[in-house]
Amino acid sequence: MDRLDAELAAETSRRRFLQNAALGGAAIAAAPALAQGITQGLTDLHLPGGNAQRPMTSAFPGKGSMILQRVHPPLLETPMDVFDRDVFTPNDQFFVRWHWADIPTSIDVDAFRLTIRGHVNKPIAISLEQLMRLPRVEMAAVNQCSGNSRGLFQPRVPGAQWGNGAMGNAKWLGVRLRDVLDLAGVKAGAVQVRFGALDQPVVAGAPDFEKALDVDHARDGEVMIAFGMNGTQLPLLNGFPIRLIVPGWYSTYWVKMLNDIEVLPGPDDEYWMAKAYKIPATPGANVKPGAKDFPTVPINRMIPRSWVTSLGEGQRIAHEASIPLGGIAMGGDCGVARVDVSTDGGRHWFATKLGPDHGKYSFRRWDAQVPLPGPGQTALMSRCWNAAGVAQPMAPIWNPGGFMRGNIETTTIVTA
Amino acid sequence: MKAPTPGMLAAGLLGVTVFTLMMVGPPGSYTPPPEPQTTGPAPSSISVNGFTLTSDTVDLPIDEQQYPDGPHADVINANCTSCHSASMAMTQPVLSADQWKATVTKMKDVYKAPVADKDIPAIVDYLTAMSVAQDGAPTGKAQDTAANAAPDASGGTG
Repeated sequence: MDRLDAELAAETSRRRFLQNAALGGAAIAAAPALAQGITQGLTDLHLPGGNAQRPMTSAFPGKGSMILQRVHPPLLETPMDVFDRDVFTPNDQFFVRWHWADIPTSIDVDAFRLTIRGHVNKPIAISLEQLMRLPRVEMAAVNQCSGNSRGLFQPRVPGAQWGNGAMGNAKWLGVRLRDVLDLAGVKAGAVQVRFGALDQPVVAGAPDFEKALDVDHARDGEVMIAFGMNGTQLPLLNGFPIRLIVPGWYSTYWVKMLNDIEVLPGPDDEYWMAKAYKIPATPGANVKPGAKDFPTVPINRMIPRSWVTSLGEGQRIAHEASIPLGGIAMGGDCGVARVDVSTDGGRHWFATKLGPDHGKYSFRRWDAQVPLPGPGQTALMSRCWNAAGVAQPMAPIWNPGGFMRGNIETTTIVTA
Repeated sequence: MKAPTPGMLAAGLLGVTVFTLMMVGPPGSYTPPPEPQTTGPAPSSISVNGFTLTSDTVDLPIDEQQYPDGPHADVINANCTSCHSASMAMTQPVLSADQWKATVTKMKDVYKAPVADKDIPAIVDYLTAMSVAQDGAPTGKAQDTAANAAPDASGGTG
């Protein structure tokens, strides 16, 4: 064929691609996986710039209705209305995030062993029964993905396009990591403790998912190994039989299916600590959009956040002089001190009444009766102060990883 | 045995209907796969001080979704579905060719995806065209950041 024909063919092909891609995009949104099988309806995450429709699914073991971000390996997001029902997130709607697709689908509690090795006096492997005989602790703590709300970043950044539901709060029952480390005896000169798990990369040579904490942090008596979640064993997809709990820190450290603890005489320089989950070493992990070549540190402590949960984005309600408004807040690495709300986009703020205190690392409910402007579009906002006096800022941050969003969130409703 | 009264028959019929509807479920609902056959003894469990852990076996859904048709769809389907679902790419905001190239290169160099160098341009072309076709809204355009960063230093995931 001559050049003109070739160009025409290419153009036709491009148009066909665009049509197909458009259709395919719709097909993706309407039926991302086993078309007839695993999804029911769509939800809108209201991400700026679009591509925000996600299917709902109840097809995952131990899981109820979840927002389907990815089947393989699973990324399941909790719908926001779940957070309005209770400050504790039910196990069957707790978010799910796996890095590698080789996830064990069968766990034998008799055969399972947790090894403690490395810079220790006596390397050991303990059974679940031995673990469960250690002194117990229970703690309410929020588990939030480092990239929770990444889809709300502007400009948008690549990565899992979460809305606000890559988080959950549970009562974790387990044992202190310190007590487990003491079974092996940490040697003088230990610097970090690295945590490995049963999941594996699909391809040989890829970096196994492992995370590390400083030895003093690991031994602080708060970091724990949990075998119970809201009174029962963990769903397999949330890390059965045991996972690490690092209160006040992002979920990347809360290693699921924990089976290996290695005490290190130096800092962990493997991929998942040295290269991934790094944030700008700037206040609030904030850099100018597009910035690069800034110093970074591993993501670490969480910051205060809050959400309106009694009304959803875009919801229409009858106009009244005042309405009840409720939601949840978290202090991050300490408790919630105060939550204020606004119904006029941040011009006027009203105090809320905080619900029961389940501990400084837990979600805390807030409620208020607030005046409504309008009728019309109404921008609802909530602002949390934590016990250290840190308040949510109005302006969003930006970084290329889409980590640590914490600004005041807006829920826009319509009253008529 | 007494003959059933019409009332008993009606109640029975209602019960059967309700049961059937419950089994069938609402239209379009998903019927989960049957629980793994427990042919042998019950799953083993450990009970210590009032808390019990029971062995667990699950089936994870299999993703059969392919990338939508288009130039080089065969290449991306052959290279980019075993480690992760197509939805991982399809849910991304609009990314530039450079950004997609950085992502594909990271998959190969850092995550050891067995992608042949000769296939990378086709995969990047596919993703770039798909990205534009999916959503051209300007506010959805992602900042060009990872493009010039070393692929293993993009700090991604989460």
